[in-house]
Amino acid sequence: MSGVLSIVLKRLGLGLLTLLIISILIFGAVEMLPGDMAEAVLGQGATAENLAALRAQMGLDQPAPIRYLDWLSGAVVGDFGISAVSGASVAETIGPRFRNTLFLAAYAAVIAVPVAIILGVVVALLRDTLFDRVANVATLTSISSPEFFLGYILILYLSVKTGMFPAIAKLNDGMTFFELLDRTFLPALTMVLVVVAHMMRMTRASIINLLASPYIEMARLKGTPAWKVIVKHALPNAWAPIINVIALNLAYLITGVVLVEVVFVYPGIGQLLVDAVTKRDFPVVQACCLIFAATFILLNLAADVGAILTNPRLRHPK
Amino acid sequence: MSYFIVGYYALLIGASCLAAFYQKRGVFLILFSLTLISFIVGIVGGESSLWFITLCAAALALAAGTSFAFREFLVIVLPTELSKAVKTAPLTAAFGLFVIMTYAIAGVFAPIIAPFGEAEVISSAFAPADENMILGADQLGRDLFSRLVYGARNTVGLALTATICAFLLGAVGGMLAATIGGWFDQFMGRLVDVIMSVPSLIFALLLLSIFGTNVAILVIIIAVIYAPRVFRLTRAVAGNVVVMDYIEAARLRGEGTFYLIRREILPNSTAPLIAEFGLEFCFVFLLVAGLSFLGLGIQPPTADWGSMVRENATLISFGEITPLFPAAAIALLTVAVNFVVDWMLYRSSGLKS
Repeated sequence: MSGVLSIVLKRLGLGLLTLLIISILIFGAVEMLPGDMAEAVLGQGATAENLAALRAQMGLDQPAPIRYLDWLSGAVVGDFGISAVSGASVAETIGPRFRNTLFLAAYAAVIAVPVAIILGVVVALLRDTLFDRVANVATLTSISSPEFFLGYILILYLSVKTGMFPAIAKLNDGMTFFELLDRTFLPALTMVLVVVAHMMRMTRASIINLLASPYIEMARLKGTPAWKVIVKHALPNAWAPIINVIALNLAYLITGVVLVEVVFVYPGIGQLLVDAVTKRDFPVVQACCLIFAATFILLNLAADVGAILTNPRLRHPK
Repeated sequence: MSYFIVGYYALLIGASCLAAFYQKRGVFLILFSLTLISFIVGIVGGESSLWFITLCAAALALAAGTSFAFREFLVIVLPTELSKAVKTAPLTAAFGLFVIMTYAIAGVFAPIIAPFGEAEVISSAFAPADENMILGADQLGRDLFSRLVYGARNTVGLALTATICAFLLGAVGGMLAATIGGWFDQFMGRLVDVIMSVPSLIFALLLLSIFGTNVAILVIIIAVIYAPRVFRLTRAVAGNVVVMDYIEAARLRGEGTFYLIRREILPNSTAPLIAEFGLEFCFVFLLVAGLSFLGLGIQPPTADWGSMVRENATLISFGEITPLFPAAAIALLTVAVNFVVDWMLYRSSGLKS
C-alpha cells in the first residue's frame, strides 16, 4: 500500500508544480502588457501624479517577483486583490458566482453521468447494429455543435414555443431548491447533451476495447452466462477507464460552462470572466483563470489517481 | 381525422409489412418502432408533430440520396486509386465530403454568390424575408444570406489558417523532439504539459484580454494553444518510426536531422497526421466560433458566424429561427469534417472495431 501512496503523492506534487508554473504564466502574461495596470485603470487622460499615487496604492512600484509572491500568497488564502474596474474585492465578487457555477456543473453531472455510462455500455454491447450507428451519428452531431447552438435550440423549442422552462436563468436569494432546479434546467440540459455524447463515446470505446481481450473470450467459451461475463469479468477492469471518463468530462463541464452561462445569462464565474476580459479587468481575469486551471488540474489528477487505484498494472511503470 | 394522418400511418405500416416480408429485419425494426412512437407523439402533440416527423424523415432521405449520388459522382470523376477508396466509403463520409465541398465553393466564390456585400445596409433592422432577401435582414438591416455566405470565407478561412499554423508548429516540434531526443524532448514535453493543463477556451480568453483582439493575434494564440495536441501525436507516431532500422542506417550514412524528418519519418506517419488535421480543425473551428460568439473573435463589420448568432439572438425570444442558421452552419461543417475523419481513422486503423 505504501507504494500506491508514494505514487499518488508524486502525482499530487506534479500537479502542484504544474499549477505553480501556470500561476507564473498567468501573472507573467499580464506583466507583458505595454504600460501597466495603473495606466489601464486611469486611461489616457491620467496625470503623472495620479499614476504614481495609484501605483503606490496598488503596490505597482515594487519589482515583479515581489508582486508575484504577494499575489500568490494572497491567492492561496483566497485573497485576489481588488477589481481594477469596480474597486470591489475580487474574492467577494467571485465567491457566490463560483458557487453558482459549481451548482450548475453538479446539476448537469448528476443527470449526465449515469445516463452516459448506461447508454455507453448498452451501445458497446450492441455494437455494429443499427442502434449503434444511429447513436454514433447522434453523439457526433451533439459533440460537433457549438454549445450556443444547442442552447438556443433548447430555448426556442422548450421555452419560447412551448413555455415549459424559463429561458433566462436568473437567480434570487429567496428561491426554493425546486425553483432553482427549474430555473437552471435548460443550461444544465445543454451541458448534459454535450457531455453525455462525449462520455458515451469514450465509455463505448473502452468497453469495446475490453470485450475484445482474450480473457473475456475465454469466459464466454467456457459457457459463462452473458451477464456474469459483464459483471464478474469485464466490470472490475472497466472501472479504471470509466472513472477516467467521468473525471475528464467533469473537467470539461467546469470549463465548458463559459459559453452556456453567457447564452442563459447565468450569474456564474464564466460570465464574469468574459465580462472581465471585455473590460480588461486583469485582477478578475487572473483570479478566474487560476480557479479554472486549478479545477481542471485537480480533476485530471483525480482521473490519474483513480486509474492508479483501480488498475494495479499502473503502479509498476516500465 | 385528416387524409394526412391516414396516409401517414398507411404508408408506415405498409412499408414495415413490406420490409418484414422481404426479411429486412433492421429496416422493419426502424419502421415499426417509428410507427409506435408516432402513435404516442401523435396523441400528445397532434397533427403538427407528425408533420415534423415527416419533414425530418424527408430531410434525412434527401441527405442520404444526395450523398449516394455524390459518392457515385466521385467514383466516376476521380482517378482509379482514389475512386477505389471512395467506393467503400460509408454514406456519412460521402455526405461529409459533399458538405465540405459546398462550403469551399461558397467561401471561394462568396462575392459572386452573395447578392449583396457583407457590410451593405439594404433595409430596416430585422426586416422579414422577401424575394430580395431569402433569410431577411439582421440587426442593422444587412442581408443575412449574403453575410452567411461571406461567413464561410471569413470564419472558415480563419479557422483553417489557425489550424495550419498549429499543425506546422506542433508537427515540426514533435518530429524534432522525436529525432533529437534528450533534453530538447524533455523540455518540449514539459512545456506541452503545462499548456495542455489550462482549458483552451480559458487560456484563449486570458491571452486575448492581454493582447487585444485582432485577426493575426487570434491566429497565433490559437496556434499556440492547439499545437500541443499535434505535438503529442506527432511525437508518439514519429517515436515509433525513429527506432526502426532504416533510420539507424540513414543516420550511419551521415544524413542530417532535416533529411531524416523529410524523407524517412514524414512519409511513414502521414495517415494518422491527416486524420488529426481534421480533428484539430474541428476543435479550432469550435473555439473560433465560441470566441466570436463572446465578441472576442473577428471584429465587425466583417461577417462571422459566431458573432452573427450573438447579434441576432434577440430574435429567438420572438420564436424566429433565423439566428440559428449561422450556428447550424458551424455545426454542419464540424459534423461533416468529423464524418470524414471517422472514415479515415477507420481506414488507417486497419478496420478494427
